[in-house]
This record gives sequence, structure tokens and C-alpha cells, in this order.
Amino acid sequence: MASLSPKSPEQNEKSKQYDRQLRLWGDHGQTALENGHICLINATALGTEVLKSIVLPGIGAITIVDENNVSDEDIGSNFFLETTSKGLNRGSETLRLLLELNDAVQGHSVQEPPDQILQENPDFFKSFSVVIGTSLNEKLIKDLSQYLWDLNKPFILCRSVGFLGSFRIQFREHSIIETHPENEKVDLRLDVPFTGLSDYFDSIVISTLELKDHGHIPWIVILYKAVQKWQTTNLNRWPMSRKEKNEIKDIIQQFIRSDENGVPINEENFEEAIRAVNTALLPTFLPVKVQDLIYSSAAINLTKESNPFWIMCSALRAFVEAEGKGNLPLRGVLPDMTASTEHYVKLQNIYRNQASVDAEIVYRKVQQIVSQLQCDSISETEVKLFCRHAHDLHLIIGSNIALEYQTGSPVASYIARHLEEPDVMMVHYILLRAADMFKSEHCRAPGEWEPESDIAKLKNCVSKILSDVSCSPFPKDDHIHEMCRYGGAEIHSVSAFVGGCVAHEAIKLITKQYNPVNNTFIYDGASTNSATFTF
Amino acid sequence: MVARVAGVFDEKLTEAIANSKVLVVGAGGIGCEILKNLVLTGFPNIEIIDLDTIDVSNLNRQFLFHKEHVGKSKAQVAKDSALSFNPNVNIIAHHDSVISNDYGVSYFKQFNIVMNALDNRVARNHVNRMCLAADVPLVETGTAGYAGQVELIKKGLTQCYECLPKAPQKSFPGCTIRNTPSEPIHCIVWAKHLFNQLFGEEDPDQDVSPDTADPEAAGDAGSSALSAKESETGNVERKSTRTWAAETNYEPEKLFTKLFGDDIHYLLSMENLWKKRRPPTPLVWDNLPGKDDSPAKHSGLPDQRVWSVHECAQVFAASCKALEADLKGRPSGDHLVWDKDEKSSMDFVTACANIRAHIFNIPLKSRFEIKSMAGNIIPAIATANAIVAGLAVLRAQNILKGELEACTSVYLRPKVNHRGQLFVPERTLTAPNPKCYVCAPKPEVALACNLKHLTLKELNSALKEGLNMQAPDAAVEGKGLVVLSSEPGETDHNNDKTLEEIGLNDGCALLVDDFLQNYEVRVRLQQEDEEKSWRLVTELDTPMPAPKEDKPANGANGSNDPKPGPSRPKDDSDSDMEIIEEDEGVETVKPPKRRRVEMSDEIVELC
Ligand SMILES: [Zn+2]
Repeated sequence: MASLSPKSPEQNEKSKQYDRQLRLWGDHGQTALENGHICLINATALGTEVLKSIVLPGIGAITIVDENNVSDEDIGSNFFLETTSKGLNRGSETLRLLLELNDAVQGHSVQEPPDQILQENPDFFKSFSVVIGTSLNEKLIKDLSQYLWDLNKPFILCRSVGFLGSFRIQFREHSIIETHPENEKVDLRLDVPFTGLSDYFDSIVISTLELKDHGHIPWIVILYKAVQKWQTTNLNRWPMSRKEKNEIKDIIQQFIRSDENGVPINEENFEEAIRAVNTALLPTFLPVKVQDLIYSSAAINLTKESNPFWIMCSALRAFVEAEGKGNLPLRGVLPDMTASTEHYVKLQNIYRNQASVDAEIVYRKVQQIVSQLQCDSISETEVKLFCRHAHDLHLIIGSNIALEYQTGSPVASYIARHLEEPDVMMVHYILLRAADMFKSEHCRAPGEWEPESDIAKLKNCVSKILSDVSCSPFPKDDHIHEMCRYGGAEIHSVSAFVGGCVAHEAIKLITKQYNPVNNTFIYDGASTNSATFTF
Repeated sequence: MVARVAGVFDEKLTEAIANSKVLVVGAGGIGCEILKNLVLTGFPNIEIIDLDTIDVSNLNRQFLFHKEHVGKSKAQVAKDSALSFNPNVNIIAHHDSVISNDYGVSYFKQFNIVMNALDNRVARNHVNRMCLAADVPLVETGTAGYAGQVELIKKGLTQCYECLPKAPQKSFPGCTIRNTPSEPIHCIVWAKHLFNQLFGEEDPDQDVSPDTADPEAAGDAGSSALSAKESETGNVERKSTRTWAAETNYEPEKLFTKLFGDDIHYLLSMENLWKKRRPPTPLVWDNLPGKDDSPAKHSGLPDQRVWSVHECAQVFAASCKALEADLKGRPSGDHLVWDKDEKSSMDFVTACANIRAHIFNIPLKSRFEIKSMAGNIIPAIATANAIVAGLAVLRAQNILKGELEACTSVYLRPKVNHRGQLFVPERTLTAPNPKCYVCAPKPEVALACNLKHLTLKELNSALKEGLNMQAPDAAVEGKGLVVLSSEPGETDHNNDKTLEEIGLNDGCALLVDDFLQNYEVRVRLQQEDEEKSWRLVTELDTPMPAPKEDKPANGANGSNDPKPGPSRPKDDSDSDMEIIEEDEGVETVKPPKRRRVEMSDEIVELC
């Protein structure tokens, strides 16, 4: 027995606890989450459900802004409040019980009214990754969303009233490096092999291989050799048409050896090569979407405030124009294949090495830009990740919530169009907004005290909003009656559902993985219909 | 407490909730959320059942559990946590398998709604049948990563859980696993089989030694340098691996030498196998690759780094010892159950799989990757569970209001689709499949097998594993002859007889029923000479054969005369309906054995 004591790889407690999610967003996603700080305004049932689903996977910190004290209704709809919580500050009580879920999460509670913070201490919001607000009145929605828009902070406005729920995501732009496309294209560069790769290809002569090695060379080699052979009689062109690709398949077929009886030997790697002909022979190119990004003005006109995504896009453009000769950095990922370990590992290293050489060049360009702009540094790991996913970079341009309140704006006509359709989900949107307006005007939810007399008042709000978007009033009042009957109460399952959705989207924003909803989601728990709108 | 909500819900719903009784099956990620939602919606009577205990890896989403609860009953802790916030609810917790005589049809009948929050197919199939038999609406839920779904199952109105064939999980030929692995997964499957051979429940289908019956090696083994007496199954006859290992005291070096030295030499002697393949390289304990690597050069998490063969051997030795100690600490005859979240079990499989991969020139993998593959881990996150559970309880409200038509299936997509949808609902309820072998009025299925070889005992396991029955009784149609009885011992004397020997032949039909599930199915026997074990042929995805006006030919007359099959031409559109095995049969009384593949937390057949 060797003298070394067995290095048993003890998983730490944290990676055990987070095992099932690390497999989804990776260690870097987890790190992003752990560096995240969420601000929640109002610990309603909905707000608390959002935080619950963000605290469990291990967000870095949460801050709850809530001036309200715990009521009976809160205890009835919010799981994280106890009967003994009654009368105490809602934010700090909820916080206390939420933090019990995960001791790695930091928590703060602020008892000032949010509009006061916005007026007296707006810098307060600067430190958060995402601000989430619920149960806000219309005035605060307008002020806060405009402020966060200017501050360039993502904001999620969410609502849960009776059977209705909604969320609206506001950001100026959101860049996604890891979109997790369903079928990632392979990046093999068979048409433009880099030096390391062509050297490797040249070192192999298929016809002289021993039979047992013959079955172990990677299909990439086979395919390359077949194209080479084809090119000798085709003016070194690249096979493009179906006919030409079939000719390549025929050549591969000829490579297959036969046994002593002349029967072709079934070799998996050659089969793989034939199957790969259609996809792997696609010429290397710069995707239009990526081209648009790297030549967009944000990537060209950098400033000290430019975010890392644009700095990396700029460096990427420089790479494409120089070292890349029109192409992106090599992805450096090999698909699975039948091959011996030596061949596989060798080929894998060739691709990996080139990928890291390419990424290294991009990184140096990033460093140059950073030092010119004197902005915050960008780590090599970030640049590597960026390069690996350069083919699938994605950018969403957001819109300001304030636009929804502007008469005559394109958003207003978008709303009007959907109301005319008629889209009942857009009707729900109007009612949710009318309820916000009601709250601004009367300091309570419609129907909270006097369901009957509130109907006319809420109807007024609805009319105002409809006239703002140049629409005629609703023919029937049933939705208005319904909203008054809710009395601002939350149905727990609706809050749980919307809360899960909001946390889901917040995690996408923080980890910069997967495309989030762009930008509005409306849910009706009575009919269980949902809809997304892009305002 | 829910006073204001009473104003939101109409009277009918409020009353229906007040008089309702709900069963939640599963207290995992979705189950915890459902329980919380039910409690806060005012459901007064809830029962929750789960066989599992709490693991650290549950804590990232199962919010009713905290660190101090690890190891305790999920159902019980979920109940206690929920009650601590809302003491006025009547919750009954069962730390038990739902597949048990204690939870028969009459048990299910007392509920207005059953809500499934399960993590495996076997239990889902079972609850599906119980709800069909009891005619109780079932809300079926599942998530996988960012995706999820909720569907209603109601007898006669919607598809049942088994109406559509589920994609079979990949299985590998025994000789690939035992003789000629070519992918990492082959080595991982082998390593898990080895775990069971050494420490777990021994299963003849999971032999890990060289397979001399490999058709590719034809005639080869006889000339082997090692003398070995072959049994008819092709296994080299010898002491069971377990017995041998116990006798050698689980001495790691000896185990290693046998598994990764001697057995590989034996494989090498089967020369036909290596004419077109790179032959494996036997290893010697004292001289392993990576031995001289300095331990300091590695960086990164040990879990995500690929270990050297030498390191694997170290881990192999340590985990063997730990597992042996665990086994010894148990009552005689007990065995370990492989668990991806149990350190030694996972270490053992990682080490063995990688050592074997090295021998066969297959790329090695990190422990993290192997855990995914061996445990067939489906990522699970809190948000998706919250979303699905929220929808599920809203569905429950619709059901109580009698609005079943509104309860169409809903799919949560990992990404918004091209129409901007995050949720994709079905427009209408999906009608039951008239050919479903579970919920059709007269369920029927064909069993393809070689009647000359299949024994009654094997028939019994085919019914259990293939048709997911718990205790099948089978009688010959038209004759009433009982060939299998669920009464212990009643038909045991026939166990080793083949179907042909007891007079069953091609085209015969058996009426098979499971008392617990209140489920009866007509099983047609279909002779296939090539079939090595058995295979179900369903009509779910193949055209229905011509209608059978006349009674099917009844071949159960004891004669061996070949009779034409009654129903359909032989087709070989077979294997997509091979019924699945599963490793994490946490809810099963006894996990099924054949064709084992696994499922994990909150698996779902995705859109
Ligand atoms: Zn069915």
C-alpha cells in the first residue's frame, strides 16, 4: 500500500447543500448569486415568497424595506409570520424567519417608508443587484422606476391581488453570456484549421494505421481527410451542396476496411464521421447577431462607465479583425466521440490550447481597454467564459416602466391594440394598474373597507387609464366588481406562484444565464390563464 | 386567519375547501410547497406521505427542513414545521411507502383530491392506478431544472399517467458492460453493479465478471488460459463475488488485483473481442499511473478535478473499508443501498468507474460528472418547485369548484418560447388514450417472450416490473387455470417451469390482476424465438390490429401445437416501450430489478 494517505475528496457542506442547483448554473452562477444583493420593498406574502426562493439557493444578502406592522391578514397569507409577530415590524419579522432557511445569507431590514428613502437617501438603492417592489402605489411606482432606470439598476415590479398576479421587469439592457441554447453548434474549424490542428491531421495517415487503431481515430480526423481527398479533384473548394456532401460520405465509406472475406468491418468512428458530414462541414462564420453586437455603438464608443460586457465585445471585435481573421475565438469544446483516450485527449488538448490562446489574446485586449479607460478590472475567468460562449451572446434592450404611463407613447397604442383584440389578459393589466392608482389616491386597496362605494371610485381610475391609452371604457363592470371584492387581499397560492416566477427571473438576471421574460407577465388564477407582453 | 380570503373566494369554494380532505404524496421540494399552500388556503384536513428522510442536498429547496432535521422523516418534519406556523390545521403524516396494503383503494377513496409530488416513476404509476381505481382526481406535478408541469388526471376524462409511453431510459447490453465498455457510462454502470455485488442487494443480472457467453467471443473462452467452468448463463461459475470478498476481508489490494488485474487478463484471453478493438490493459496495484505525481500540484475543487488512477486506487481502498464497516455494522443478511449522496458509495463508484475506464482506454471523469451520470441527477431548484406547487393548489381549487374542464395541463418552459410564453398551457383536456393498457375500459397488452424459456417466476417479475404491479394474480383466459397467485407459496411449485411446460402457447391470453391496485389487464402471449427475456408490446404508439370480432384463439389446452397468434402480425417496433428500471425507487416496497435505469428528484417528462 502506498504511503500516501488516501486523499478522499470531501465535498464541503455548501456544495452538498447546493448540489442540485450547481448542476444547473455552475459554480460561477453560484458565485454570482452569492455576490448578489436583493432589495425587497414590502414583505407581503408575495414579497416573502420571492425572497424564500432566493434565500434557499443562497443569495448573498437581502434587504427588506417595510414600514408596516404585521396584521392578522399578513399572518393569514404569509407563511413566514407567526401569531406572535402581530404588531411588530413586518419586514424585520419576515426577515428573521426567512434567514432561518439559510444561515449563509445576510439580511437587513429598513423600516423607513420607501418614498422617503427615495427623497432623502436615494443612494441607498445603489448597492443592490436587483430591486423588487410589491404592493406599491402608482406614484411610488413611477418615481422609483424612473429613478432605478436612471441608475441603471434592474427593477422587478410585482403584484398579487385576489386571483390576479403580475410582474414587470425593467432594465435598460441585459446581456446574457450563457443563453444555454438547446443545440450548441460545434466549432471545429475544419475549413480553416489552425496550425496545431493541421499539424495533428497531417501526422495521421489513415491507410497505414493498424486495424485496431483504425477503429479508434476520432471522426473529426476521418472527415478532414475525406475532404482533403475530395479537394484534390475539386480545386480545393469546400464541399457545400448536398451532392458534394454525399461525395464526402462515399469517400469515408471507401476508408472503411474489410475483413478477410471482403465484408466491411463495422467501425463506430467511421459511422460517426458519416453522420457528422451534414453538420460538421458547415463553414466557420461570424454570426450576424454577434457581428451586430460587436459593431454596435455601445461596443465602439466605450466610456469609463461601460459595463464589462461591452468592453469584452470591443476586445472581441479587435480579435475578429486581427488574430481571428474574421472568426470568433475558438470555443474549444469537443463533442463526444468514439476514440481511444490518447487520440481523444490529444485532440481535446489541441482544441483547448487554441481556445485558451485565443481567449488569452482577447483578455490582453480587455486589459488594454481597462487600463485606457481606467475602469474596474475584468477577470480572466470572465473573459474565458465570454469567449467560450461568444457564438451565442445575447442582448435584450429593456424599456422604462414610465412609458406605460405616457399618453400617446408607442406603449399606449400597444396596450390599446391588445384591449381591442380583445385580450382579457390586458384587461387584467388595466385593473391592476387601476388598483395602484386607487391606492395612490385613497391610501388603501379598492374594496378594502367599503367594497360597494369603492366600485365607482375604481371605475374612475379605470376610465382615466383607458382614456390615457385612447380606449373606450369597458362595456361591463364585472372585472371592476371583482377587483373590489378582492379588497386587496392576497391568495396565498397566487402569491406563491408569482413569487416563484419573480425569483426565477431574478436568478436569471443575477446569474446572467438563460433569457429572462421580456418584460411583463400577467396571470389570472381564476381562469389559470397567463400572458406575456413586451412594453 | 384567512378571513379576508373568504371574501375573495366565492361561497361554494369556501365551503368545498372547508369540507375537503386532501392527500399529498411526497414531501420533497414540491410537496413542501404544496403543503404550505394548502395550509394557507385554508384546507382543513391534509394527509402527507413520504418514505424518505431528509438529506443535506434537499435544503436548497425543501424549505420546511433545516440542517438540524437531516436524517429525520420528511413527512413528519414537514407536518411539524407547517403546524408550528399554523396550528389549526389537521395534518396526518405517514413516514411510509405509498405502495403498501395500508393504502388501498378505500384509503384513497376518502380524499377529494390527491396531489402527487413524487420523484420516481414507479410510485407515480402506482398512485395513478390507485386514483383511477378510487376515481379520485389526481394532480400530477414535476419539475426538472427550470422546467416543470402540472396536470390533472381524472378517470374517463383525461389521459392517465400511463396513457402515453414514457421514453425508455438507455440500457446497455450486458456484454458491453462486462466485456467491452467503450464509453464512460459503461464503466459507471459496471461500478454500480459492482457496488451491489459487494455490498448491496445481489442481482444475477448485474454480474460484473467477464461474460463468456458474449456472442462476439464465440468459441473463444474455451481456449482460455484460465480454466473456468462455465455455467449455462455464461457466467464463470465460482463463489459469489460477495462471499469471496468477505473471505478476503474486503482487502482492497486483493479486490483490486482480481477486478482490475485477473479479470482483465481473462478478458484478454477472449481474443476475438480484441481483433478490432484496442485491448484493455490490466493494472498492478503497486505501479499505478499518477503514483509519483506530487499531491500539491492540483488546484480547484477535488470534486470537479479528474483524479489520477493512483488517486482512484486510494479512494477505492478507503471507500471499500468504509463500506465494509457499514455492512458489518448491520444485522446479518442486510445490505447497503447505493446512494449518490452518500460519500463512500459515491467515492467507490467514481474510483471503480475511472480505474476501469483507464484500463479500457476511455476518458476519465470527475466525481462531479460521474455523480450526475450515476445518479441520473435532475437539477432541482426552489423557484420551479414554488411555481409548480402554486399552480397545483390553484388547480385543486378549480377541481373543488367542479371546474375540471379548466384544469388543462400547464408546462413551465426553461426559456420563453418564440411566442414569448413562459407557460404553455394545453387548450383543452387531453382525452384518455382508448388503447391505454391501464385506463382503457378493457386494458390489454402483449408480452413478447420465448415461451420455451420464460419461467413462471420470470413471468411474475415481468408483470411486476413491466406492468408495475405489486402482487399479480394470473389466470388463463377461458380456463380459469391459476398460473400465478399472490398468495405466498400457492404457485411456487411451478416457479421454474416454463410457460410452455404449463401449457401456455403463442396467442394465449392471461387475465392478470392486482388486488391492491384494483387493476386488471389482459395479457396476450406472443412467441418470439429471439427474445432473451421478455418485452411488452403495447398499442400506444403502433396502429391497432384489426378488430377482433371473434374470441381470440385460446391455446391453453396443454398441447404444444403451434397456434396462430390471435391478434396481430409480429412486428418489431418494439423497444421504445421497454419498461424501465429505476434505481431510486424510494417509494417502492422493493426496487425492481431488470433493465434498471434511474430517475431522480422530481423528474418530469418534459414538453
Ligand atoms: Zn391511461
